[in-house]
Amino acid sequence: MSNGAYFSCRNINAYYGESYIVQNVSFDIAEKEIVALLGRNGAGKTSTLRTIARAHEPSLKSGEIYLDGVALHEMRTYQAAQHGVQLVPEDRRIIPGITVEENLILAQTEGKPGWPLERIYQSFPRLAERRRQEATTMSGGEQQMLAVARALARDLKLLLLDEPYEGLAPVIVHEIEAILREVKKLGITTIIVEQNALAALKLADTAIILDTGEVVFRGTAQEVLDNKELRDQYLAI
Amino acid sequence: MSGSLINHVFLQILTGLQLGAIYVLIALGLTLIFGTLGVVNFAHGALFMLGAYFAVIIAGKFGFLTAIIAVPFLLFIIGIIMERGLIRFFYNRPHTDQILVTFGLAIVVQETLKWIFGANNIPFPLPRWGGGILKLHEWLPFLEGFVAYPKWRMILIFVSLVTVAALFALLQFTRFGLIVRAGMRDSEMLRFLGINITRRFAIVFGLGAMIAGIAGAFGGPVTQVDPEVGMAFLVPSFLVVVIGGMGSLPGAVLAGFMLGMAISFSAQYSAIQQIIIYLVAVIVLLVRPRGLLGQKGVMEE
Repeated sequence: MSNGAYFSCRNINAYYGESYIVQNVSFDIAEKEIVALLGRNGAGKTSTLRTIARAHEPSLKSGEIYLDGVALHEMRTYQAAQHGVQLVPEDRRIIPGITVEENLILAQTEGKPGWPLERIYQSFPRLAERRRQEATTMSGGEQQMLAVARALARDLKLLLLDEPYEGLAPVIVHEIEAILREVKKLGITTIIVEQNALAALKLADTAIILDTGEVVFRGTAQEVLDNKELRDQYLAI
Repeated sequence: MSGSLINHVFLQILTGLQLGAIYVLIALGLTLIFGTLGVVNFAHGALFMLGAYFAVIIAGKFGFLTAIIAVPFLLFIIGIIMERGLIRFFYNRPHTDQILVTFGLAIVVQETLKWIFGANNIPFPLPRWGGGILKLHEWLPFLEGFVAYPKWRMILIFVSLVTVAALFALLQFTRFGLIVRAGMRDSEMLRFLGINITRRFAIVFGLGAMIAGIAGAFGGPVTQVDPEVGMAFLVPSFLVVVIGGMGSLPGAVLAGFMLGMAISFSAQYSAIQQIIIYLVAVIVLLVRPRGLLGQKGVMEE
């Protein structure tokens, strides 16, 4: 049963092949809360996001995941997405061989649509200019914009951002940060995973730190920024 | 060029297209299924063979026109049943398992047909409107003297080209096609976007089977209709897929007609004709290991 939180995972265990990559992870998130999921490389951050998005791998062995009262752990990937989970994956995963607009159209093929294309193009004029261009020929920053826009094109309740700043030049990172600040104003419940922990904490209300697949800290983003010992131990920042 | 040489080259090209037509149709289904589902379907030759058998039977009872409508439809259904009933359980298994199970299925089909219809060739009479020859010199002024070609073989080339065009149009200009093309590149991302790609891929398997059925119905009269014909066409068609580039539809079309031409133009050197397709395969793969139009990352993880 859902425990009343807007989003909650209860004791989730997930594994790749034989090895557990997410162990007994539990946390709740309130509606509109923005959570930074932090931890060292290999701490299980991406795997946790993928588990929540009900990816085929890592496969969920046990545990429960609820979003807005609905059991995600009983769903397949596409069903979770139709219920409002939207993963903006690592490496952006813009689909090659098709245009910017076709990438956006695909996002609105099944389930309830979110922003109409006109609104997306108003908010992201660069994508409007390049709508007929093959999407993967754009710069990394533009592809990241498209990845975020593609999520907004869907009716979403939970946004999962996996390394949104990865591989981008500092000036582009600022641009994406500005976009994510705008997204924050929309009041979308969000989990952000980011190597650049300081950037993630700037955006987040709450921080959760994972270590070897387990939750070792949960507190406000400010607490992490103020607690040098914690940062040294788990984040090396 | 002298007139007789032009005539000769032209007829060899037609023969190449006609030989290639069946390879192209079988290879299209193979590469489509591989590109979407990642499955190497060694039962695809058996589907072609089923198409030919169904066409003979239905044409004998209800006429050829009924057969060419019913056979693709039947094969589509068979394809969906095969995918849902068997193939889908092998998606996450190694290619070797997939090859073994589909190869096994091909043998089951082959032996079943042998049991029901015997091992001999079943005559496949042409419909009345499809028999005879076309006098090509009456239409094509660059040909000299009397140049004729069997009408049915021209129909086969035409049907193959129309099928290729229809498939490309479906993939290029429809929403279904967009989903399938995108799914060939990153099926997981489509799932993250809420798309039930598995359902689309089952339809793709049905389409591949349907195209094999078309090849069987129209190719049956020029090939044999016996229990070995599936395997006989599977191997060259699979080579076409590899030469064209695994998962590449334009590659399959190009390579299919190319192999047809290679066989046609080597016809006077019978020793070479036996091995020409393997020779072409070796040369192409030495120069372009991914095949003519193969993309990076396919079957390379």
